[in-house]
Amino acid sequence: MARPSWVSQAARIAWKDLHIEGRSREVVYTMGFMAALVVLVFSFAFISGQEVTVGPDAIAGILWVAVLFSGTVALSRTFDRERENEAIRSLLLSPVPRSAIYAGKLAATAAIMLLVELLLLPLLAALFSAAIWPHALWLGLLLLLGTVGFASVGVIFSAALLRSRSRDALLGALLFPIVIPVLLAASRATATLLDPTVPDLDPAFFWTRFLAALDVVFVVVGLWSFEPVVMGE
Amino acid sequence: MLSSMPSARKSNTAFVVGLLLVLHGFFVVTLLVANAPQEKTMGIVQKIFYFHVPCAWLLMLSTFVCAAGSLAYLFRGSERGDRLALCSAELGVLFGLCVLVTGPLWARAAWGVFWTWDVRLTSSLLLWLMLVAYGLARRYGGAGGRRLAAAMALFAATDVPLVYLSVNVWRTLHPTTRVVSSLAPGMRLPFFLSLAIFSGLWGVLLTLRMRVERAQSRLLELTIAIEDAEEKSP
Amino acid sequence: MTYVALAYGFIWGAVLTYVLLVGRRVARIDAEIEDLRQRVKPGA
Repeated sequence: MARPSWVSQAARIAWKDLHIEGRSREVVYTMGFMAALVVLVFSFAFISGQEVTVGPDAIAGILWVAVLFSGTVALSRTFDRERENEAIRSLLLSPVPRSAIYAGKLAATAAIMLLVELLLLPLLAALFSAAIWPHALWLGLLLLLGTVGFASVGVIFSAALLRSRSRDALLGALLFPIVIPVLLAASRATATLLDPTVPDLDPAFFWTRFLAALDVVFVVVGLWSFEPVVMGE
Repeated sequence: MLSSMPSARKSNTAFVVGLLLVLHGFFVVTLLVANAPQEKTMGIVQKIFYFHVPCAWLLMLSTFVCAAGSLAYLFRGSERGDRLALCSAELGVLFGLCVLVTGPLWARAAWGVFWTWDVRLTSSLLLWLMLVAYGLARRYGGAGGRRLAAAMALFAATDVPLVYLSVNVWRTLHPTTRVVSSLAPGMRLPFFLSLAIFSGLWGVLLTLRMRVERAQSRLLELTIAIEDAEEKSP
Repeated sequence: MTYVALAYGFIWGAVLTYVLLVGRRVARIDAEIEDLRQRVKPGA
């Protein structure tokens, strides 16, 4: 029997996680709730009179901060199932290449995060009258790139903190300095796309390319460092 | 076994000497710097350049060394690599703090503001924060702390090219890297001397700190061995 | 001029503080070595 390909092994791991999540939907609900709350809190913070007056810059910022905070919720759950019953050990004993495990975990986590984020866009449109429709597809692409960048680092950290007692306190604090460039690029691009008065879309092109380059770097470092980080467990 | 353990104090004298040499160098540098020609537009405040830039260089160097040590630790299980990563991260925090303090002082005098969110400053601040987070991960990370910190160091190293090249790619308030290669002749000697002495200081501190760290881990091994022996023969 | 002095002084202060902190670490390690020596002596 031919050995399953790297891609199919990664896909299988991703599918397993998504399948389990599909039944309980716990992460989607908790993450979604958190994201919506973050957006709401910001809308309260920016009320003046009866209206919420926020420019495209701020809306972009709010979106990505919500992604960051709620994404941390998803990430701390990434290895939850592996933690129980020492499942991580049996996973590591199998001949599946570690990079495939990483890729699978990354894909599953990113997919869950994306699902929630796509619901955030209409929420922003409703609360802040954000102009999401002119460039909806591009915004979706930005969400994808930003999520992958964020999760690529987050999966590594989540794996390393598998057994740590201070996991929840540390994960966000340690993750944020490293992913701020991702946040920066994504929100700058988003701000340009949400602004109907902007003369041209050059900044959006630039920041999208920057974000894609960051993603490549982070995923490569992630693929590379996953094995030694998780082998210590 | 205990007597063969190098006393941390004895090697100290060697380093105090080294440190004194470097401090002496500082005085020399001060004299040279004081005599260097004054820059036209900024006047005397520009002299901060002679200390600010070496500290920035040391921040980036420390990050790279930390990443290198982390690589050795992660991929070859090198304990020495792990110690190197820890020590250089500490030095990175130290000299990074110097950059982040001397920079705004210079900025206040030259541009009127302490801080601005341009790429160079922001990415440098982030780099420093990453090194601080490295320390936090090691101390409070629990079981996976060291490996997590090592992985963080790898990601932090990817920020360094961004810090360095950012001034060349984007137009910011901060001077570009071409400033160093186009220094006026009278400024070159003090600058490179200052750079060399700061690097020497960094090297001395690193070696000192490494020895202390090695003594610490040997001490731990010995303590465990002795306690084991005590248990077996009460 | 005060800025330059402040900047330079800060660097010195920071480096010296660091050396002091490391020195304290060294003193603690030496104390522990002595402690261990005492524990081993009666047994040997």
